[in-house]
Amino acid sequence: MNVLNIAWKEIKTGLRDTKTFLLMLAFPIVLILILGTALSGAFSTSVKVGDMKLLYRSEVTSPQLAEYWNGFLKAAESQGIRAVAAEAGADGRKAVRDNRYTAYAELGDNGIRFYGSSKVSIETNILQGMLTVFADRYNLVAAAVKENPAAVPGIVAAWTDAGDYVREASVDPKRQPGSIDYYAMAMTTMFALYAAFSATYLIQGEHARKTAIRLSAAPVSRAEVFAGKIVGCTFYNFLILLAVVLFSKLAFDADWGSRFGIVLAVLATEVLLAISLGLALGYLLKGEGSRSVLMIFLQIASFAGGAYFPFGETEGVIHLLLNLNPLMWANTALMKVIYENDALAALPAIGLNAAVAAAFLILAVIAMRKREAL
Amino acid sequence: MNVLEIRNLTKKFGDFAAVDNMTLSVREGEIFGFLGANGAGKSTTINMIASLLRSTKGEIDLLGRSISANARFAKSNIGIVPQDIAIYEDMTAYENVRFFAGLYGLRGETLKERTAEALEFVGLGDKHKSYPKNFSGGMKRRLNIACAIAHRPKLIIMDEPTVGIDPQSRNYILNSVKKLNEMGSTIIYTSHYMEEVEEICTRIAIVDHGKIIADGTKEQLKSIITDTKEIWIGVRSAEPVQVEALKAIPGVLSVRVEEQTVMVSSKAEVGNLNRIIQQLIKDQAEIRSVEEQAPNLEAVFLTLTGRNLRD
Repeated sequence: MNVLNIAWKEIKTGLRDTKTFLLMLAFPIVLILILGTALSGAFSTSVKVGDMKLLYRSEVTSPQLAEYWNGFLKAAESQGIRAVAAEAGADGRKAVRDNRYTAYAELGDNGIRFYGSSKVSIETNILQGMLTVFADRYNLVAAAVKENPAAVPGIVAAWTDAGDYVREASVDPKRQPGSIDYYAMAMTTMFALYAAFSATYLIQGEHARKTAIRLSAAPVSRAEVFAGKIVGCTFYNFLILLAVVLFSKLAFDADWGSRFGIVLAVLATEVLLAISLGLALGYLLKGEGSRSVLMIFLQIASFAGGAYFPFGETEGVIHLLLNLNPLMWANTALMKVIYENDALAALPAIGLNAAVAAAFLILAVIAMRKREAL
Repeated sequence: MNVLEIRNLTKKFGDFAAVDNMTLSVREGEIFGFLGANGAGKSTTINMIASLLRSTKGEIDLLGRSISANARFAKSNIGIVPQDIAIYEDMTAYENVRFFAGLYGLRGETLKERTAEALEFVGLGDKHKSYPKNFSGGMKRRLNIACAIAHRPKLIIMDEPTVGIDPQSRNYILNSVKKLNEMGSTIIYTSHYMEEVEEICTRIAIVDHGKIIADGTKEQLKSIITDTKEIWIGVRSAEPVQVEALKAIPGVLSVRVEEQTVMVSSKAEVGNLNRIIQQLIKDQAEIRSVEEQAPNLEAVFLTLTGRNLRD
């Protein structure tokens, strides 16, 4: 009961300090916005394709081919390609060179001649690819007409869909975060670790306010005081993180995946780790010393944990060192949970967070026992 | 019945003995004054009684039970009013008292009633929703007391509870101490203000260098110094007074000088008043009055310790 009493007091006084609460909320949100916007290019996996205008000249005499060509044009138009028939005597190649069209195609009974613009290579390649597919299919139909005319309607009917000419494919089939998505996650985990700062004040603050004497004189064990403060401080900091997560989701449309509970579990254990670290340091190193050491650690951890930019694949000692960082293991776990829907990937992070938190708490308890008062 | 018994209590910090083989007892219903200059060992003793420090040697019993073996019992029966104001500025007066009373196991309606009762007792009933940051020094001191009494302790330890407050608040607190005592609490009271101790304490112990050097009622303590007399000489200005020359006069024990008063403590049997006056005339101090004071606690303290309480 004393633990809850102390925890509730920590939460209440924390929430009552609206200036600090808003500052702790605003800081990560502003960083998400700044970094997410400024570095959006580094995270983009899409390429913008411009307008595609195809100039064509059809000298086809076969009605079958003409009909098939018209079907192709309809399908192409449904994909946003503007097809324009060249006027008699017009120079299609010059029109492409003058950048008025993306490509020029000459269609005859013997095949298709294609001239693409080198200035817009992606658009040119798309049109070339579509026409290649068209030519292959036409050859197949032509062969079918000769060998098995009854099969032709079936073959043609299967190709009426526009998607048969353009199929979306990706080099990396996995989902990838956009810059806002990444920094929403990275800033949240970074600020979870920054909760260690407030934890350094948990006991030192009682001494500064002189209330430590009352807590020590009350029939409450030091373990109860410790537990109450850890529970209260963890809950308070978790509330701030939850607000950051929700804000980033609602305001920036950040992707937190579909396994929200597991994401929160990783964050909650990370806060617990941070609070335990801060408490232990605050107990072992008095005054500003603890906060100076913490600041150095947090800066290195943030940098090496991918808070400011994501690390690529690493190997050997560097890989090992980077993965000793609580921020790195939290970010890695969250990336897998969010973008690969891999719930089990959270378990190592949760386990490590809890184990390291326990280690720091044991350290704090050993230091506490050496002291006479709180 | 003794509420508190201390036997051969010693506390050492390295080689320095802050409390040196102290033995004393506090009886039920007493307001026990604990007098000593800074560094005499008062706070260390109080901290050991309140289980804030462990003793190096010796025993402390509260209500017949050893506090080292029954720490939770002892803590439950002690209320401590620390010298420094120990309250949370970001919690209301009510929340402060309620929080600390809650640590003593009070719950539900009892907790609410006792919290309100403690605030009423110190005259802050109408300020229960206010934050201490808006309180005067005296109000903070009273809240400091309320936080220590809501759980109705058998023994209340008050460490300089009137430091730095206005006379009105001081009177309020002194009356509160008397009232608490009348309601059945035994009180240990430390103060730098001798007149407070003289006014409210039923028994007084003088501590010096970690030891009790005298212990008794104020009358008993004053009787210790019947062989000394206190002469107060009013002067226009004490500036020209040669203190060392006065001290050299046979029988003079100590000399204190204030703006317009020279206070000489002297052996009663030595007739040296003429020589003291002659010395002051020689110093051109311009004497205005001479009177012999009845012995007071200040004089007792000075005689026994050789220094002023506020040194």
